[in-house]
Amino acid sequence: MINVSPKCIGCNKCVPVCPFAAIQLIDKKAVINEACTLCGACVQVCPVQAIEISREETATRDLGGYKGVWVFVELVEDRAVGGAAKEGGQPAHAKQGRKIRPVTFELLSIGRKLADQLGEELCAVLLTDKNYGYEKDLGAYGADKVYLVENPELYEYNTDIFSTAIVALTHKHKPSIMLYGATIMGRDLAPRVASSLYTGLTADCTALAIKDGQLLQSRPAFGGNIMADILSPRSRPQMSTVRPNVMKLSDPIYGKIAVTVREDIKIDKGLRRVKVLERKLEKADAGVKLDEARVIVSGGRGMKTKERFKHLEELCRLLGGVVGASRGAVDMGLKDKTHQVGQSGTTVSPKLYLSFGISGAVQHIVGMKASDVIVAVNNDPDAPIFNVAKYGIVGDAHEIAPKLIEALKKRKP
Amino acid sequence: MPSMDAISRNLMLDSLRDYAKKHIPYDLIRDKDQANEFPAAILKDMYDHSILGVHLLLVPEEHGGVSGGTYDIYRICELLAHIDLGIATSVFATFLGTDPLNVGGTEDQKKKWLQRIAKENLMVAYAATEPDAGSDLINLRTRAEHVLKNGQLAGYRITGNKQWISNGGVADLYTVLAMASGGPCWFLVERDMEGFSPGKHEDKHGIRLSNTASLALDGVYVPKENLIGGVEGQGLLQAQAVFGYTRVMVAAFGLGAGWEAVEQAVRYSQQRIQAGGPLSDKQGYMHKLIVPHAVKLEAARAYIEDVANRLDSGEHGLQTEGAIAKYSASEAGNRAADDAIQAFGGYGYTRDFPVEKIKRDIKITCIYEGTSEVLEMTIYRGRWQEHLKTRGRYYLDIADRMDALHDRNPNTGARAAGLALRTLAAVMEECRLQKLTRHQAVTFKLGRLISVCELAYLFAEASAKEKYSESVRFDTQAWQAMARIFARDAAVQLATEGPALVLGAVENAASMASAADMDQVRAVQKGMMEDMDLVAAKLKQTFKAR
Amino acid sequence: MHIAVCVKQVPDSTEVKINPETGTLIRAGVPSIINPYDHFALQTAMELKAANGFRVTVVSMGPPQARSVVQMGLALGADDGVLLSDMAFAGSDTWSTSYALAKAMKKIGKVDIILAGMQAIDGDTAQTGPGIAQQLGIPQVSFCVKVDVDGRKLIVRRLIDGGHEIVETRAPALLTMIMPKDYVSKYPSFPAVHSSLKKPCHTWSAADIGAEAQYLGLKGSPTQVAKIYPPPQREKAAMSGGSSQEAVEKILEILARENFVE
Repeated sequence: MINVSPKCIGCNKCVPVCPFAAIQLIDKKAVINEACTLCGACVQVCPVQAIEISREETATRDLGGYKGVWVFVELVEDRAVGGAAKEGGQPAHAKQGRKIRPVTFELLSIGRKLADQLGEELCAVLLTDKNYGYEKDLGAYGADKVYLVENPELYEYNTDIFSTAIVALTHKHKPSIMLYGATIMGRDLAPRVASSLYTGLTADCTALAIKDGQLLQSRPAFGGNIMADILSPRSRPQMSTVRPNVMKLSDPIYGKIAVTVREDIKIDKGLRRVKVLERKLEKADAGVKLDEARVIVSGGRGMKTKERFKHLEELCRLLGGVVGASRGAVDMGLKDKTHQVGQSGTTVSPKLYLSFGISGAVQHIVGMKASDVIVAVNNDPDAPIFNVAKYGIVGDAHEIAPKLIEALKKRKP
Repeated sequence: MPSMDAISRNLMLDSLRDYAKKHIPYDLIRDKDQANEFPAAILKDMYDHSILGVHLLLVPEEHGGVSGGTYDIYRICELLAHIDLGIATSVFATFLGTDPLNVGGTEDQKKKWLQRIAKENLMVAYAATEPDAGSDLINLRTRAEHVLKNGQLAGYRITGNKQWISNGGVADLYTVLAMASGGPCWFLVERDMEGFSPGKHEDKHGIRLSNTASLALDGVYVPKENLIGGVEGQGLLQAQAVFGYTRVMVAAFGLGAGWEAVEQAVRYSQQRIQAGGPLSDKQGYMHKLIVPHAVKLEAARAYIEDVANRLDSGEHGLQTEGAIAKYSASEAGNRAADDAIQAFGGYGYTRDFPVEKIKRDIKITCIYEGTSEVLEMTIYRGRWQEHLKTRGRYYLDIADRMDALHDRNPNTGARAAGLALRTLAAVMEECRLQKLTRHQAVTFKLGRLISVCELAYLFAEASAKEKYSESVRFDTQAWQAMARIFARDAAVQLATEGPALVLGAVENAASMASAADMDQVRAVQKGMMEDMDLVAAKLKQTFKAR
Repeated sequence: MHIAVCVKQVPDSTEVKINPETGTLIRAGVPSIINPYDHFALQTAMELKAANGFRVTVVSMGPPQARSVVQMGLALGADDGVLLSDMAFAGSDTWSTSYALAKAMKKIGKVDIILAGMQAIDGDTAQTGPGIAQQLGIPQVSFCVKVDVDGRKLIVRRLIDGGHEIVETRAPALLTMIMPKDYVSKYPSFPAVHSSLKKPCHTWSAADIGAEAQYLGLKGSPTQVAKIYPPPQREKAAMSGGSSQEAVEKILEILARENFVE
């Protein structure tokens, strides 16, 4: 509940800070409408403490029995289906099994820390038609247990089948935390599960921590212009999705094998209400695998023209990298959207991020700040990108790029 | 017509904005400006009622239009001016050309022609001006001669020349002002009528995307049904009837193009680093080249909106008010654009940057739809009547209102506005007593001073409102600071220029010694520096570098 | 068939600014727009309507000013609109929002296809659509770029990690939409906006849709915002300037030092 007391002096400080435009000044008093999300920004700025938020505690469910940090294991769907299958290039996974998507290991890395802080177990949840000894890798990244559901119906992802299975497991074992990769699969699955359990789900977390025994979930909002800390105080499990390349991967300890626990969950074929008619996978294009690139040379509006932007491709060839682009550059038509780095593009964490003419709007920074070494070239010394870069060069990006190419060519034998 | 609901209006503005974003990139505008080319495809889309249909704002709902009110049209005109003043002028010309029909047409004529305009997306031109008759329209030479058939009047044969006609070379339909035996009349002439030939597209200083052409009418025959209103001699009255409202449209042009220039300058100034920091941090730069123009434009906005709202609530005429709005906004915009070039420095002087084009474009707003000089006279004449009718109380009563407003809310500049108004009243009274309005220069100057005072008091009142109109992009703090700045300047201007005007034309005028309460005028200047700094900061916040 | 499209009014997050002194958001002057993904969902619905003669209802949950996006839906061609507006919805997270929208769908009755944007650009969660589907017990297909209808069969093209799929499901179903590369948004013409005023547009409260208070607002939301703050400031980069040539030399030095070149 939010309430504006008679102490309100109509100073109007609260109106402009509301991220949801929920406050208006009417007859010299602040009036808050239903767009309010109780975020508390107005409470912080009110000079006379006239705004109060009371968070009523409803009858709390018994949360005591919920223990365990779970991570959903995402397997890479690499099998073409339908017409596309005839085009050949079927994976060899019949022998080795589908690969585990790397984000799973990132989740296990952070999950391990959370589990240690809570003194609970870290468990991987694996739904598959056949187990290929995945417990070795899952254990190496910190899982104590693998809850394995092995069933022919689990040969590929399906919303209803997977969510039903996970909900069943959750009811049985009562984990306190569940983590998913914020991949297309994760973003399809997690909300369905959370809705079914009437439990809290926070998407795209950039940080996870334990505070007073609860999972504190931090994420950007408003295109990354603000950060929000979210809690799920009254429901379990506390669910979060995390994008790939956000959490740091810990060093695997091979030899540490997770204990496999077989779960016999009934899978009803009738649950398959969505059928895959065709699946086509993009060929691994040496050009655009931004999220796995070791080096990214990225351009922004400061590159000004398509011709100049092409210099960045040349730099990539010389440095062994992939071309990235800011949203501004994409909007200007300098590069297509598949190369966009940022909140509404790809999140990257290369070893080297070399940017030309990118000012560093927050929605871009959110997508690349995990890079190891950031070198930024921009002609505005106050460009925000210099606040995340390790090295800043003040200069004209579209003049420096071609000169750098020449200099690099001279160095190469 | 009353204005439409805010949601519908803003949906239309969004659609226009989106169209411009997708189809009118600045490179296209720059190229057309250089080549002096009318962007026919864009205008065609704008009139196409399955894409936008801007012309439908002028057509009442019953004839297939969307019944736009003055406020709606002002907002659309302002947005068009931000995009390109040439395109805006072309759209405006259709509005203007449709006006005589709306105001003077018979029901049958309205039905026939407005429906055709709406359905067939017709572009219209308003053909009044002639080589020898611009401001002085009464001198028009185009003749419309009776054509008889069987002894009855069947139609008219029109002969003459028109000059500077917007959409002249590209319109489908023309409303042509011609002198018949019974007086000036508007005739509907279609493009393909025999004897009608538009001239070539003029090579202009600005608004080069607007097609401007002369028209030659060589015995063009129109049936008598094409005489708007069916009665000869109504032409000038019909034209004047809509001035209040067509002047608001051009005021919106000055406002929109002027603000485009200021916004560009504010964004640029935050990027351009000189002497260790951005230009936007330099107080002298901001206080000279940016802030005063933002202030004057917002004062013009407050005035425009007041006129628009009054017209929409059923008041008629308001020609003087329209004149004040158009005069003030166009002059403010023109100066804003000039200083915008200055604000960009050398870069502003090149075609790469948009401000030199805005300056070239915006000059026309001080010329067409009533030159600034004609409007100064119009303003003076309208308010002189009020001064006489109220025996000199007109501006004193408003000054009293200002003092009462100041007591309720000391932040709006009302006190300073009141001071300006009292000086104005004293000056006008002395002009009356000493018959100084026999000097034409005095009438022009009075028109100018009256405009400043009227903007000052309306801005004070507007800034005092609880909720600002949807067009205002600033919060209470910023807008009230602007109102205070404008009012202070008004008080100073009136205190000096008012008495000087009188004293320059007479032997003596004792009343001028107390025409302005100089102690008060000095006192209200307090806080100016702080307010200017505040507005500079708010401008930087609102128009961040891209 | 009857299609319901969920749309949301959001602040244009590209325009949202932070007050550098207080670290709070400056929302004043930031325009409200229709969530671009929902706009695409609306256009998809209109294409289906044009091809098949379906009925389209546009639904939005929000404060009174959100009527603007409902009206935009009507202007783009929807047959009728619903605005869910009630103080009781204040503070709702995605679960409570899905709950309310699911209730609204039940009240609208016999909805065959629900289309929603894949995510909203303010929250970026992509949770509401699947939540509605789960609460209605209908299948969901997410990240859809194209829909075709054949009787009660829906053939949907969707994105997957690493490619795309064509899937088949049966109505009733919910689809969340994401724009394909060649997408061009359509805005209504002036006469379309004008005639949208004549189309039926209802405003429903929580009571109208039978939504129980315990599931709404902050009380009913499993997640809670504990705090909002500006993104952390970092230490500034080691800066250098000078001529383009000097800049190039500096970059080479850095690349060598960090072992990206020999």
